[in-house]
Amino acid sequence: MNTNNNVYTVIYTAVIVVVVAALLAFVSGKLGPAQDANAKAETLRQMMSAAGVKPTEELYAARNAEVLQLYADNIREAYTIGLDGQKNGELSVSKDKIELISKLKPQHKAILAGGDVTLPVYIFNSGIAVIPIYGAGLWGPVWGYIAFQPDCHTIAGAFFDHESETPGLGAKIKDEPWFREKFSGKTVEWGDTPAFRLEKHAEATGATNAVDAITGATMTSKGLNEALNVWFKAYEKHFGSGAFFSMLGEHADSETINTEEE
Amino acid sequence: MDKKLKETILNPILKGNPITVLVLGICSALAVTVQLKGALVMALSVIAVTGLSSLVCSLLRNTIPNRVRIIVQLVVVAMMVILVDQILKAGEGTYAIDKQLSVYIGLIITNCIVMGRIEAFALGNKPIPSLLDGIANGLGYGLILVVVAFFRELLGSGTLFGFQVLPSGYVPNNLVILPPFALILLGCIIWVHRAIDKDLQEN
Repeated sequence: MNTNNNVYTVIYTAVIVVVVAALLAFVSGKLGPAQDANAKAETLRQMMSAAGVKPTEELYAARNAEVLQLYADNIREAYTIGLDGQKNGELSVSKDKIELISKLKPQHKAILAGGDVTLPVYIFNSGIAVIPIYGAGLWGPVWGYIAFQPDCHTIAGAFFDHESETPGLGAKIKDEPWFREKFSGKTVEWGDTPAFRLEKHAEATGATNAVDAITGATMTSKGLNEALNVWFKAYEKHFGSGAFFSMLGEHADSETINTEEE
Repeated sequence: MDKKLKETILNPILKGNPITVLVLGICSALAVTVQLKGALVMALSVIAVTGLSSLVCSLLRNTIPNRVRIIVQLVVVAMMVILVDQILKAGEGTYAIDKQLSVYIGLIITNCIVMGRIEAFALGNKPIPSLLDGIANGLGYGLILVVVAFFRELLGSGTLFGFQVLPSGYVPNNLVILPPFALILLGCIIWVHRAIDKDLQEN
């Protein structure tokens, strides 16, 4: 057979590509549920790390089932809000049916477009509220979870992750615990623009809503700063103007709302 | 076992090691050798990809149109790499390692060893020897990866497979964690390899 014939070549490559594509689609479909379960447990680990439910290392050493159980034991409620700051949905927190808004990219797009959003708020038994953030780093998306003290003004903890930032530089947002630990005790000044600063020499200004950018990772830091501020802006009406506290009822203690300017 | 087959298996591990002799695939050897666990998973992934890609390409060798053979090989290799990546992502224990290895699993596609062995061996040999050649080359690569990772994790973190082995008073050497040290270590391994195997020395 003449394998160098044009028709043969075209048909051969077409068949190979179709066969490979079909095989990969089949495998992807088969493994999808297992991958989703892993991704869900990963999201829960990151949220609980930010909320301080357990140390990060312990969360990563725990199996998926243990992570789901831990979340179910520690979560009080989870719901979604719109850009007006009002609740627009509930997320189930029962162990068998844990609901998360884990696809942050479409929400990010909707925030930027000012459209309909369902932004999640996860409230733990400790009164700590966790929200996600999402944005563009240097090579791919960066995201994270920010946990607030019950005053919704002070950051209790944070966890950041990324898809493909440079190891040793931008990847430090995840790899170096000191980076996320710097956020604990900082504040978010709802209503200010920007509500938070992740910039060069930001800490030297003495502001409580500032963390220094990472040296050598300018673009990742910029992307993360933007992600923080875009998402903080989206949650501003919920946390900043009392919608959150009026919703919590007995927790709406005005003394705990600290909106003083620095 | 006949002599030729034995040579096929042993040569890539020793005298014709893809990393220390051919100096192929060193990019990932520098990147994923900070910890033994990652290096081991990477080594196993490469072994699976080189072995299976060589097997499939060898099975197809008489039907592949010569003008598009590189493209066909690339499709086969890419398929194997995606399969490995998907399987790692689905396993509960391997998910974190897959995330840690991030782009390097995907970049196995560009590892010169894989395409090199298909071009040099699989297209001209029967399936079983091709499979063994692919596995052996993966092993040769993996062996160096594990040796490099052993020293880097030991000196850089004081641990092996995440377990503390050096006394807690040991101050981890940060240079060892950085990629340049992998290059230094690789140089040392090549040095030792050549000192032992006189055939490799140039005049």
